[in-house]
Amino acid sequence: MRNIFWQTLKKNGLLLVILIAAIIASIAVGVTPPLILQYIVDSLVSGSFSAYPLLTAGILYFALNAGSGLVDALKETLITVFGQKITHGLRSAMCQRLDELPAAYFVSHEAGAVTSLFVNDVDTLENLFDSGVVSMIADAFTILSILVVVFHLSLGLGILLCICLPLLFILTRYFQKRMLQAQRDNRIAVGRTNELIPETVHNIRTIHTCQQERYLRQRYGRTIRASFDAMERSNFCDSIYSPIIITSCTVIICLMMALSVSSPSLQEIFGMTVGSVVALIAYVRRIFSPLESIGMEIQNIQSAVAGIGRLKDFFAEPIQERKEPEVPDAAAAPLVIDDAAFGYGREKDIFRHFSLTVAAGEMVTITGRTGAGKSTLFKLILGLYQPREGQVRIFGCDPSRLAPAVRRQVFGYVEQQFHAISGTVADQISLKDPRVTAGAMEKALHLVGLWDTCCALPQGLDTPFRPELFSRGQSQLLSIARAVVMNPQILLFDEITANLDSLTESQVLQALQAAAKDRTVLSISHRLYEAQGGRRVVIGETEA
Amino acid sequence: MKRFGPGSVRYYFYHEKKLLLIVTLSGILYNVGMIAGPWFDGQLAQYLYDIFGGTRTAADMYALCLCYALVILGVQGARYVKRLYVRKFANNISLSMKDRLYQHLVQTPKRDMEQADTGALMTKVISDIDTCVEGMRKFTTEIFDTGVVMAAYVVMLVWYDWRLTLCVLVFPPIAYALANSLRRLVAVTAARSKESSGALSGMTLDRISNALTYRVYGEEAIQDQRYEGYLADYEKKIILANLWENTLQPIYKVIAMIGTMLVIWFGGRNVLGTGWESWDIAAFSTYLACFIKLATKSSHAAKLFNAIQKAQVSWQRIQPHLQAATELPDPVPPAAPAALTVRHLSFTYPGSDGPIFQDLSFSARPGTIIGITGPVACGKSTLGQAFLCENPHGGQIFFGAKELGNGHTAPDGIVGYCGHDAELFAATVEENIRLGLSGDIAPVLKKVCMDEDCATFPMGIETPIGESGQRLSGGQQARIALARSLFHPRPLLILDDPFAAVDMATERKIFTSLRQDYSDRIILLISHRLSLFPNLDQVIWLNGDGTSVVATHEALYASCPAYRNLYDLQHAQGGAHHA
Repeated sequence: MRNIFWQTLKKNGLLLVILIAAIIASIAVGVTPPLILQYIVDSLVSGSFSAYPLLTAGILYFALNAGSGLVDALKETLITVFGQKITHGLRSAMCQRLDELPAAYFVSHEAGAVTSLFVNDVDTLENLFDSGVVSMIADAFTILSILVVVFHLSLGLGILLCICLPLLFILTRYFQKRMLQAQRDNRIAVGRTNELIPETVHNIRTIHTCQQERYLRQRYGRTIRASFDAMERSNFCDSIYSPIIITSCTVIICLMMALSVSSPSLQEIFGMTVGSVVALIAYVRRIFSPLESIGMEIQNIQSAVAGIGRLKDFFAEPIQERKEPEVPDAAAAPLVIDDAAFGYGREKDIFRHFSLTVAAGEMVTITGRTGAGKSTLFKLILGLYQPREGQVRIFGCDPSRLAPAVRRQVFGYVEQQFHAISGTVADQISLKDPRVTAGAMEKALHLVGLWDTCCALPQGLDTPFRPELFSRGQSQLLSIARAVVMNPQILLFDEITANLDSLTESQVLQALQAAAKDRTVLSISHRLYEAQGGRRVVIGETEA
Repeated sequence: MKRFGPGSVRYYFYHEKKLLLIVTLSGILYNVGMIAGPWFDGQLAQYLYDIFGGTRTAADMYALCLCYALVILGVQGARYVKRLYVRKFANNISLSMKDRLYQHLVQTPKRDMEQADTGALMTKVISDIDTCVEGMRKFTTEIFDTGVVMAAYVVMLVWYDWRLTLCVLVFPPIAYALANSLRRLVAVTAARSKESSGALSGMTLDRISNALTYRVYGEEAIQDQRYEGYLADYEKKIILANLWENTLQPIYKVIAMIGTMLVIWFGGRNVLGTGWESWDIAAFSTYLACFIKLATKSSHAAKLFNAIQKAQVSWQRIQPHLQAATELPDPVPPAAPAALTVRHLSFTYPGSDGPIFQDLSFSARPGTIIGITGPVACGKSTLGQAFLCENPHGGQIFFGAKELGNGHTAPDGIVGYCGHDAELFAATVEENIRLGLSGDIAPVLKKVCMDEDCATFPMGIETPIGESGQRLSGGQQARIALARSLFHPRPLLILDDPFAAVDMATERKIFTSLRQDYSDRIILLISHRLSLFPNLDQVIWLNGDGTSVVATHEALYASCPAYRNLYDLQHAQGGAHHA
């Protein structure tokens, strides 16, 4: 991960230089206007201020204020550009990484959580960079530069600020921490609230038949109440912080003025002129906003640290060893399983001593009780997992070493449930693979009997896919079309008629038979009417 | 006619009138007090000048400083009160809006929910509430922080030098007008970047959740390439949005601040005694400080209207939901057992041509279990759902003397339903079965053979089952749903395929306990697995073409070839034999 960071920095060296220049310029331009003001006031006080210098001073004062805003804007934009470069690089690298992670990773990690890693945690990392480290450096230098000028103008005020600033900083951090905690609690509560809505919609029939609307409202009420309470805490801190700072600011100014006139020696230390009063008041007011920012930046850095930890863990996940791709041998048997044993992770074996040879064109139905490892066996055949003992060979190759480009010509895999990808209806079949031609898609859709249905959609195959466009049975047909579109030699059907209730089960069976023609087929089923042809193989103990 | 219910914004303002009163008082106090800062700052410089000139003493300065500190303490105190209460106000409104919205949601009929993606819609509406409330809060705040304070500043400026004020006040409105006209542009680029960010998140989720599908088909590299495209687009749009957001604000400020040149030039002449008015240093410094504050405020004002506009858009979206919310009705107590009479029942899906079944008549006494089956897509689930009366049906359903549905008696308290979707909640096993009802759940757990499963769970019946019960197996989910339907007593139970994911031995056990313990109920058992059908009192066979046969298993087996085939097919290899 560190590499990606450094590479991005190196690639954008020039940008980095401009960024540093912008930061320096923004500090320098930002600190001068009060000095001009001091000059103007002191000159006015002396009474000897001719028209021309007054006008020049006025223009200069305006120009510096204007310039400061613009340079700041440039600085902010450059910081954003930089942050984006880094996150882009990181996300690319993370995406590449997905290809190398073992199948088990995707099973044991929820997709939502991994997505959050890509989206939120990378964003926090960006925050660490731009709203964290870089801004903090800029703010620290701003404070430093103001202090330098203040010390130069008035030693007394400098000392006063050096005493007060740390105290106010501690106060700032205290409030920020409390607010952060409250906001975190709020976010958790909001997340929970958001989960309850789709759940309510999904379960509405149960809620109505059980007549538990009140209970559900109470349940929802508890989560919004939690969010309310967290907000109340955050509101208190939010409301009181700024008044405290402004009051402290005023007190410091009053102290400065009172002390500076109290005795000749103190007057010496404060060294006030009428002009410097105006300038110093401006500086005192200016010094608090970077102080507050630093507090926030510390917070950003802290919260980013957790995100970075998670990203590091992601990159530390064990990856599959890279293997040389193998070329399938068309003459070999489509599938040979030789004395295979397998179990997930550290769990005990699901099956042992399982052997099976399937000849080309054969149709084999695998049966066994729930949990006997039927679907697991398919995952071994597909090369998603490695057997603990024994071996699996597809046309003589280790299935995990099949070159990606040939996989769709070797396998078609239809799962119990259709997994829609985001995109159009056509994308569901092609998986956005440009090798899949329109003709091949049409052929596949004809085969499964969905062509007319798809043509009837508002934009035909280019209609954005939504689950409600297709019934459950029809999405299974789509899944079969996806499997056969590149004309694979082996088809794997994982209990695809389960859960098909009132719809098109016969159509699905018909499509299966059409797809199975001239292919090697393995199917899992404990729905017996499917087992009308081919061989039946039992995995595990026999069915009760 | 004015609407003044929960469907109008005014209702919420009115509801929080006490808080608003506090906000108003403290807001006016604070904002009028805002001019104290520049005035005192000017006086400090002036006093120092006078002390140097010998016309004042240090004691005067002490008094001034003390006075300044106290005034600011008071002003900032008022500010604290205002800030706190305006936030409390927003928080209260958010709470009551969300509650009302949910109240509406939970009463929405199933039929209406199927229209659109209600879940996503409602989640969006909730975030709309946050935006709307934020807008209401900002509006309330800014009435004071912009309105009152700007007025106070302008009065003060005019009081010092009205001619100069007329000159310098030209610029802030220009800045505001520019900001207002470019607002759309900023909003558009921001919206585009948000869109792109949404698309990227969507693609990320797609890439990850379908990772294994892509791997199986060897399509990972193609997806990665596409993902890269989304990343590039996102980067570009974010930078653009930031550019507009960051650079325009200072430009507005620069325009608003042009007046400072005039203030220094004319104000300086005032001090020097050659201008329109005669000023001291205090006046000069106060005037300049006031003007800068005014300029800064006005360059930000456009942003404020953004928030209010957004709030208006959000309000349009949430208003119908709030308007429609009504009080929750009292639950109807469970009805007493009675006979079920179905006469010429038919059902046609809204928008489809013919009925999915028609002219179906049968009756049942308490204690009867009737099986419903038929070929694929014959409408057996639809028949079950007809008893929920979510849509109008043809013919009549009588429970005892009450006619159900079609505007007559609602099925509340009469019909219990357990669909093939378990509809579980992200809560514990116990909460899922109970669903707000008290009593002992152990008996129902035992009846659905979940007691042994629960004993193996880490926290027994208090084990959380995860979103939609995903931590459980399909069979466990189905049995918990069944237990829930049994726990909420209803004299008429519709069970749609409750045994699909349950093995045959368990199926038989559960069936036996249904027979024994629920002899006062009428159970309609929808299934395509027919192993239990010989034990049922009656079987309804739906032909799929609208016609149906109601008979005993034996009679149906003898007379209906389709039924016989299905039954034989399932039992040919299963080992069971036709009774």
